Amino acid sequence: MKSRAWLIVVSFSMAPGLCHPARGEEQVVQAASPGQEQANPATPPPNNEVEALRREIQELRDQVHLLQAQVTALSSTPPQGGEPARTSAAPPSAAPGRSQSLLNPAISAVFQAIGATSVSHDHDETNGFDLSEAEVAFQSVVDPYARVDLFLSFPSGESPDVEEGAVTTLGLPKSLQLKGGRFKSAFGKWNTLHNHAFFSVDRPDALTNFFGEESLTDDGLSLSWLVPNPWNLYIESATEVGTPRPGESFNVGRRSLLYLEHLSSSFTTSPSSTLEVGLSAARGRTGPSAHLSAALAECGGACSSLVPREELDSSVQGVDVTYKWKPLQLNVYKSFLWQTEVLLSRRDIDMLDTLAPALVPESVSSLGAYSYVEWQVRKRWKIGARYDLSGFPDDRTAREWGGSAVIRFQPSEFQEIRFQYKRTMRNAAAAARFGDEDEDNRIFLAWIPVIGAHGAHKY
Amino acid sequence: MTTRRFRLLSVLLLAALAIGPRAGLAAQGRVRVVATLPNLGSIASAVGGDRVEVTTIAVGTQDAHFVDPKPSYMVRLKNADLLLVNGLDLEIGWVPPLTQGARNPRILPDGPGYIDCSSGVRVMEIPSSLSRSEGDVHPYGNPHYLIDPLNAETVAGTIAEALKKADPGSAAIYEDGRKAFVKRLHEAVFGKELVDLAGGSKLAREAAAGTLDAFLDGTSLGGASLRTHLGGWLGGMQPLRGWPIITYHKDWSYFASRFGLRVVEYVEPKPGIQPSAKHLEELVVRLRQGDIRVIVTRPFVEHRSTDSLAAKTGVQAITLPIEVGGAAEATDYFKLFDYVTGQLLKAHGTAGPGPAGAAR
Repeated sequence: MKSRAWLIVVSFSMAPGLCHPARGEEQVVQAASPGQEQANPATPPPNNEVEALRREIQELRDQVHLLQAQVTALSSTPPQGGEPARTSAAPPSAAPGRSQSLLNPAISAVFQAIGATSVSHDHDETNGFDLSEAEVAFQSVVDPYARVDLFLSFPSGESPDVEEGAVTTLGLPKSLQLKGGRFKSAFGKWNTLHNHAFFSVDRPDALTNFFGEESLTDDGLSLSWLVPNPWNLYIESATEVGTPRPGESFNVGRRSLLYLEHLSSSFTTSPSSTLEVGLSAARGRTGPSAHLSAALAECGGACSSLVPREELDSSVQGVDVTYKWKPLQLNVYKSFLWQTEVLLSRRDIDMLDTLAPALVPESVSSLGAYSYVEWQVRKRWKIGARYDLSGFPDDRTAREWGGSAVIRFQPSEFQEIRFQYKRTMRNAAAAARFGDEDEDNRIFLAWIPVIGAHGAHKY
Repeated sequence: MTTRRFRLLSVLLLAALAIGPRAGLAAQGRVRVVATLPNLGSIASAVGGDRVEVTTIAVGTQDAHFVDPKPSYMVRLKNADLLLVNGLDLEIGWVPPLTQGARNPRILPDGPGYIDCSSGVRVMEIPSSLSRSEGDVHPYGNPHYLIDPLNAETVAGTIAEALKKADPGSAAIYEDGRKAFVKRLHEAVFGKELVDLAGGSKLAREAAAGTLDAFLDGTSLGGASLRTHLGGWLGGMQPLRGWPIITYHKDWSYFASRFGLRVVEYVEPKPGIQPSAKHLEELVVRLRQGDIRVIVTRPFVEHRSTDSLAAKTGVQAITLPIEVGGAAEATDYFKLFDYVTGQLLKAHGTAGPGPAGAAR
């Protein structure tokens, strides 16, 4: 048992290389020092010389006793361990845990139980409760050169899928980092979040309308770079190229690649606050929108000869601004966040002229935005509000806007209950896409527990 | 049009890449050390002297469990030669994103510059079973080991070895720095007189083995036991041995064990869990027994719970730092203990701190 503990201690001390001081050297120092220090007794000589000598002799005797005691103590220790207390004090029971965690990836699981209901109408199929998504994460270093982050999602009623699975380099020079696999594109801020990490229950309308129900996700490569600059500012550039997963703005699948560039910078405005600004641009190709396909189907035989073009130019650009305030001393209790993103889509489309009938080529620009503020009022309570305004990338007239109120309760770091009330208004063109509902009032409730490895907090 | 813009952007990025500063060179030949916590920074400065350039991420008034991993910290880490971490998962919530984002392979875990300062430290309270139903437990044991000053000797050794490897040319300077720090530490803990008589390392060994009392009482010198020569923080704190106290969080275990205090209750019902009304009521009942005279709280937690306990029971609540900078007086690792022991003695009603800490 003892020898096993030794092995573990030895293997652990070899792994980090630098972590242990050279034991032998320190032992020598320590074993030698008492003697050295005792060679200089600090008592000043008294006036009476005989008395002084007597006391000196007595002191020397005492010191001999002391040294004898030390010799006994030292000789009773194991031959290798000149430093008995500390050697035996190394935490043997802690070591196995650490070496195991080197080999096993960190595993965690999270799910969202969501209840949603529209209070405006009752024919909505999304009404009701739903275990909307369970996610299992495996994260680990592969070797000294790379790490892997794998997130498997189990959406309710659908087959399991790899939500993200990417290998990231650890040792590239020049502050570069290369990522390959499937990952959420670095477009703005919200797009990179997993659903359980949202501020609210739902995704902002602008992101849903421009990218779809899921984040804009790539199967491809991403090269990110911490840009050196004379001001020592955090400036990061991420360049991505890949095949986009099915979505709204880029839906031609493997036929065409998506190119994306994201530049972000963070400014420390005070010890307690930061301002982060980002610019994103994505460009790719897209086929007919779901809306056009539906319209063609509705038109029926008269439109059967109309074939929409498959590969049209599509680009989305975005600006994101995030301001965070967290007092250094009480950051667990109070905080404030303001995050805004504006997205601009430019897209070539075929418009269906039902009278002709004919497909008319057009170029549509549309704008989408959200702005979210959040106050942490107590350690476990946050309240937030979001304003949404969004067009649709395939329709220059349709528009929806609305507001949300959010309450978040976090009993601990590992659990959250999120409540959201959302009111959406739509103009006629937008209402036509939603069963002619020009107004929707909706309530969401989500309960999100996380188990397993302690993940890091994102900033 | 868009394609052209992309090309322009790529060219600009490549140009910046080409002219970017070279990494891996210490500024003016000094070793760039980034410490996650101020205690580590203070010890590194003492050991490395002017051969090192130490920056610290967290400040002393911050909760070391919950530091925000701001992007600006990644920039600091980008060119660091050494990253000193407390370890034992104390910084699990914020150091991983920083090391991953810093693009500096030296300071990745298992890299040559990633120094886990907990290695070699005798860890207390390693849980025999792990469950989050016990609150935010630390799987590797209580990580607040630097609040026992004698553990700083081990940490100084770890840091000195790391500095020697990072900068072999100055190895002798770091060894001298370590020796000077340890000597000063021993004198501060045991008092100069006792250290001169018995040797600091001998005393530290006895203390680590838990046999210091037997050694001090069982060894006589000039007819009196060695204990009569005990000074420093240990000597000053002798009246408080066996004194029962309540602390907010489980961060005083090492200190209590070193100085003989008894932590009988915690304001948090479980580590990291907010005190409930029921738990506070139980504490009021416990405090009314009258033996506990002080509640020790932290600079970075709400004071409502402790204030209400104090108001209901008359037991005083004092805020004590556990990190350098946690109080205005705690300007370095030695002053931290001067201040903490002084405040505790004051709360106990024993004569003030005096020169208990031999620190100057």
